[in-house]
Amino acid sequence: MRLVIDYKKCRKAGQCSYLHPELFKADEAGAPVVSVGHLGEDLREAAEEAVDLCPNGAISLKEDR
Amino acid sequence: METVITPDQLSTREVIRDPYPAYRQLRDRSPFYYVELPAGSVPGIEEQSRWALMKYADVYGALRDHETFSSANNPLVGKAFPPLVLILDDPPRHTRFRRLVNRAFTLKRIEALTPWITSVASELLDGARLGEIDIVQRYTIPLPVKVIARLLGIPGEDYETFKGWSDAFLSLVSMDNTERMRSIQEMVGYFGKIAAARRAHGAEDLITALVEAEVEGEKLEEWEILGFCMLLLIAGNETTTNLIGNILNLLAARPELWEQLRTDRALVETVIDETLRYESPVQRLARTTTRDVEVSGVRIPKGDLVTVYFGAANRDPTEFPNPGEFRLDRDLRNHVAFGVGIHYCLGVPLARAETKATLNAFLDRFSAIKPGAAPAVRQTMTPVVFGFQQLPLVLKRH
Repeated sequence: MRLVIDYKKCRKAGQCSYLHPELFKADEAGAPVVSVGHLGEDLREAAEEAVDLCPNGAISLKEDR
Repeated sequence: METVITPDQLSTREVIRDPYPAYRQLRDRSPFYYVELPAGSVPGIEEQSRWALMKYADVYGALRDHETFSSANNPLVGKAFPPLVLILDDPPRHTRFRRLVNRAFTLKRIEALTPWITSVASELLDGARLGEIDIVQRYTIPLPVKVIARLLGIPGEDYETFKGWSDAFLSLVSMDNTERMRSIQEMVGYFGKIAAARRAHGAEDLITALVEAEVEGEKLEEWEILGFCMLLLIAGNETTTNLIGNILNLLAARPELWEQLRTDRALVETVIDETLRYESPVQRLARTTTRDVEVSGVRIPKGDLVTVYFGAANRDPTEFPNPGEFRLDRDLRNHVAFGVGIHYCLGVPLARAETKATLNAFLDRFSAIKPGAAPAVRQTMTPVVFGFQQLPLVLKRH
């Protein structure tokens, strides 16, 4: 599994990079970028929480291709 | 010609009633230092001056830089406010708290409440008599208070008392301080009793979740629990009350917008967002600098208070062309009505769900919504929010 950000929905609220710095970084303009590729078991719970906590519903989990 | 407004008039009733001429005149001059609280507003504080940030780029930059622009160390805490968690706090405690309470306010959990929110809205509207009504007393106050009361686990019928407490909390410039502090103490005492009751017998509510929560193996302190209850009660109702009132006023004044919504409900969310930008319910909040910092070429010294003007940033023409026009074809992802960064409004999903349920309930029931004969009156008790104290409307049923 991997994390995907829908930038059409993202409002750069900043909660993902704030609460899950192990998964997201914010760029200069405040836009988040996913900083891990394939999610190991150790990051799955955090990733699910990150999906849930985005106030604008912009984060999802996708199967690896 | 427009009356000239000086920085020291920013907390006057005239500017609170309509801050937009002030922003137009003063934005280019910001940052500037001005009197936020005139002498005598708060006992023990002679006069409080602050820096005003009104440009979009400055506001955005300050909100993102929470290390420089601290939310803790507000000199009014203890004098004019009891301590609150989150909104008057910094990391690391802010981080722990935000993590804890985010779970109760996720998009998924709040969207699941929509049918219930709609039933509260229906009850309020179907109970309304025909003809002219003051929608503030009848609807925009009770709806959000009832919703937040249910989440907290306190009786929704007491909403007039809750509204009184949260008004008092915000009425820093307009209420006698002794009376104000008495009201706040009453609120603290009330939540203290509820917290004790939930410790004895848990329930399915947020206060139970707070008294039972452990963060890094430790229970929350009493002031943290009470500070969170107060924050939710105040933030959960004043803001949404004003957002819904501002939208209904715009719809009553613009029949073509109402018709547009009737034919295309998909525009509901856009109307909500453009209202958030155009008439932001939260106009300003304070920060304190933790170091010397330069903003738009102006040096702001360490330890100074700064007011971040969300309302002014959302009308900055460099970010929103023709900002004084209400338009549905803008990119609205950048408005800062909910803030940005670590303090981004916790209640965003709730505010949106309540407002959306409201607009749908109105569109379902009414064919037209018109201004009443009695005057619409903007609130002037606090410069923090922008909204109506009285908004008479005539609602025509299908």
